[in-house]
Amino acid sequence: MSDILTPTEDALAEAPPPTRGGGALRYVLTKIGGGLVSMALVVVLGFLLFRVLPGDVIQTMFRGRPASPELMAEAEERLGLNKPLFEQFLDYLWRLLHGDLGQSYVFNVPVTDKILERLGPTLLLVGVATLIAVALGLWLGTRSAWRRGSRFDRISTGVALALWSTPTFWLGMLLLAATSGLFPTAGIVYSDTAPDFLSQALDVAHHMVLPTITLVAVIYAQYQLVMRSSLLEEMGADYLTTARAKGLRDDLVRRRHAVPNALLPTVTLVFLHLGFVIAGAVSVETVFSWPGLGLLTYDALRVRDLPLLQGTFVVLAGAVILMNVLADVLYRVLDPRVRAS
Amino acid sequence: MALLDIKDLTVRYTGRGREIEAVRGVNLSLAPGDTLGLAGESGCGKSTLAMSVLRLLPASARIGGEILLDGEDVNTMKWGRLRAVRWTTAAIVFQGAMHALNPVRRVRDQIAEPIVLHADTPPPPAALRRRVDELLAQVELPAEKGESYPHELSGGQKQRVMIAMALACEPRLVIADEPTTALDVIVQAQVLALLSRLVTEQDIGLIMISHDLAVLAATCRRLAVMYEGRLVEEGESAAVIGRPEHPHTAALAAAFPTVGDPEYRYAPATSSELGLPDPPPPPSGEPLLRTEGLRVTFTGRGRSVTTAVAGVDLEVHAGEIVALVGQSGSGKTTLARTVLGLQRPTAGRVVFDGTPLPTGTRGLRAYRRQVQLVLQDPTSALNPRHSVYESVAEGLRIHKMPGDERARVAAALEAAELRPAEEFMPLLPHQLSGGQRQRVVIAGALALEPRLLVADEPVASLDASVRGEILALLLRLRARLGLAALVITHDLGLAWNIADRVAVMYRGELVEVGPVDEVLRSPTHDYTRSLLAALPTLGTPAEH
Repeated sequence: MSDILTPTEDALAEAPPPTRGGGALRYVLTKIGGGLVSMALVVVLGFLLFRVLPGDVIQTMFRGRPASPELMAEAEERLGLNKPLFEQFLDYLWRLLHGDLGQSYVFNVPVTDKILERLGPTLLLVGVATLIAVALGLWLGTRSAWRRGSRFDRISTGVALALWSTPTFWLGMLLLAATSGLFPTAGIVYSDTAPDFLSQALDVAHHMVLPTITLVAVIYAQYQLVMRSSLLEEMGADYLTTARAKGLRDDLVRRRHAVPNALLPTVTLVFLHLGFVIAGAVSVETVFSWPGLGLLTYDALRVRDLPLLQGTFVVLAGAVILMNVLADVLYRVLDPRVRAS
Repeated sequence: MALLDIKDLTVRYTGRGREIEAVRGVNLSLAPGDTLGLAGESGCGKSTLAMSVLRLLPASARIGGEILLDGEDVNTMKWGRLRAVRWTTAAIVFQGAMHALNPVRRVRDQIAEPIVLHADTPPPPAALRRRVDELLAQVELPAEKGESYPHELSGGQKQRVMIAMALACEPRLVIADEPTTALDVIVQAQVLALLSRLVTEQDIGLIMISHDLAVLAATCRRLAVMYEGRLVEEGESAAVIGRPEHPHTAALAAAFPTVGDPEYRYAPATSSELGLPDPPPPPSGEPLLRTEGLRVTFTGRGRSVTTAVAGVDLEVHAGEIVALVGQSGSGKTTLARTVLGLQRPTAGRVVFDGTPLPTGTRGLRAYRRQVQLVLQDPTSALNPRHSVYESVAEGLRIHKMPGDERARVAAALEAAELRPAEEFMPLLPHQLSGGQRQRVVIAGALALEPRLLVADEPVASLDASVRGEILALLLRLRARLGLAALVITHDLGLAWNIADRVAVMYRGELVEVGPVDEVLRSPTHDYTRSLLAALPTLGTPAEH
């Protein structure tokens, strides 16, 4: 009943009942505002982070090529690297506001174009892999929690943990070696595939099999483990006894009552993690030479392509923030208690 | 034929090599339309008994004997048959104020669920809607409440929803498990009246479970008392309460005093061999604690202002026990928080021992040493990983009390009558009984040599037999140490038991303040009268 130590108790008990839906817009706007603040920090951090990296950019650019000091000075001038740091930052900010992330040193095209070009394959790979991983993880997690301590629970939890701790690149290589010849080893599509949509789609799907399996294998475990533990927490809840007393079948008790409650913490995790999956696709994309953002980041890192690195950093961090905001909003839709407060 | 016939029921819980016998050979029978109250303390097996009727016990339970529901043995039913019987023949009213309702589903859907489930053909949506509206109307809730989620309802409303849900499939037996435990007196009276009316109207058999004999007697024709898994007494309600045969029944009956009966005044102490200690000399001069025109308002969302405390003048003298009585939401908790310096008043002030309440951190700390808090639930008030010694010594360390720590802890445990103190020091909370835990909490307060105890429902979460012990302890502490106490409660019986003066709080104001004998015997304010009228009284079962 009344707990004297919680200050809100009386305010709650004595305040008029909260009206539903009233603060929805405010809630969403607050969350978006919070997201924008984080984004601003990312922008600043992205700029500073890559300026303090050791090593000279101009030197790296001209490595292995004959270059006169004049040529190097000219390049420095063109890239604006000779200006004071603060001015560089203002330039960067101004261009960023116009959707210009600068010019890639290596590809010699605008970074924005390059990122847009690579976004599609990444979204395809990550999207498909996440869908499969979430479905698989939630299903396995639900089953293993419902039959806690059973052979199914022990084995599936063990497998999930083992796969989770497997290095991604190692698993990818292993799959490549094990299925040698069955699936393409690199790229997204063969250059000699017929240009009609069906053949193209089939070829892309064929290319996707191994990267998707690898990505699913390393990410589904946490969905399973979180679903398992949050369902276990709900298992002792009184409303499940009510549901059983009503005469519901065991699977209906689970589907209608236990799972909707256990999903709440899981959904947050799925969305929070989605941003990281995009970033985490780096090793999978590198192993399978999948032409996505991850591979682009890897390439940019390898050749110290500063604007490109900065661009991918901002975009990937932005993805994490966006998913975070989405998770908050979705949580509110799913949990009536959050809606009220 | 009896509606429910329980024959030689035994329930054992097995696990980790231990075996607990929760129910040991109970025989019980209920005729259609009859009402039976099942009383007992926590752990006596009464809830296990109730759950076994619909075979809802966990898998670790081993059940023996027969449970004939409408002539059919529940224990040997096939799963399909059992599911069909659940909610249609017998339904349960759970303690709705807690978590018996699914928090993420609208109550309308939860009420409709069993109707759809048990219908031969699913009813059309319009008919289903009408039926749920009808059920809501039966429990005196407007149809719009069906659209609410459980957290949007008050405790009483949730309990009504639970009752509506139980009646959804027109069962012949309803089992109500502690249906009013978390509700305050007035709401409790409403819910009990509603339940009695519906059960009589629809000729439903009712088994009601509670630790409160008065609640049961007010609702049920017969009473059964359980103790350590056995049925120790059974009979007509009035007879069981009027002439209890088993000592345990007598103890249960005594724990819930009849307000206004002089026999129960200071009963916790007078009934023990130590007797009622002489009260300290009557207070003279300056009161220990005084509030002057105290107001606390909260600004909620949308600039709505709620006044929790609306101008309260309250005095507590040294060596005096004052009960602050009111319903939940009356502002009594806010008042207590303000007295403790946990909440800053909007207007007015708190004066302790002639000086206004300090506002600085240092001053407040010194103040809080003299005014100690005892919370309702000792289990959550104690850190489960701290030994008794640690729990009591913590306050000493915070306040840097001089002298030998061990000696002070021993003295405090001794004062709280945990004897021998040395043996209790190394124990952890889970090794103690509920009453002993509350004594540890009190010892922790006493260690700081306070002059005023603020106790928030100090016995509400304790069993009947322990309740008396703790209240007697408070009375003896007052006599021995001259300790004053402000006891916050919704329980008028508690006020009648131990308080010298009572302050009745209603909508943020003290509507009536005075000596307990005067206020509770001849109340002048309507609100006090309605509080007294809402008390379930022993020996007068509801109209049949």
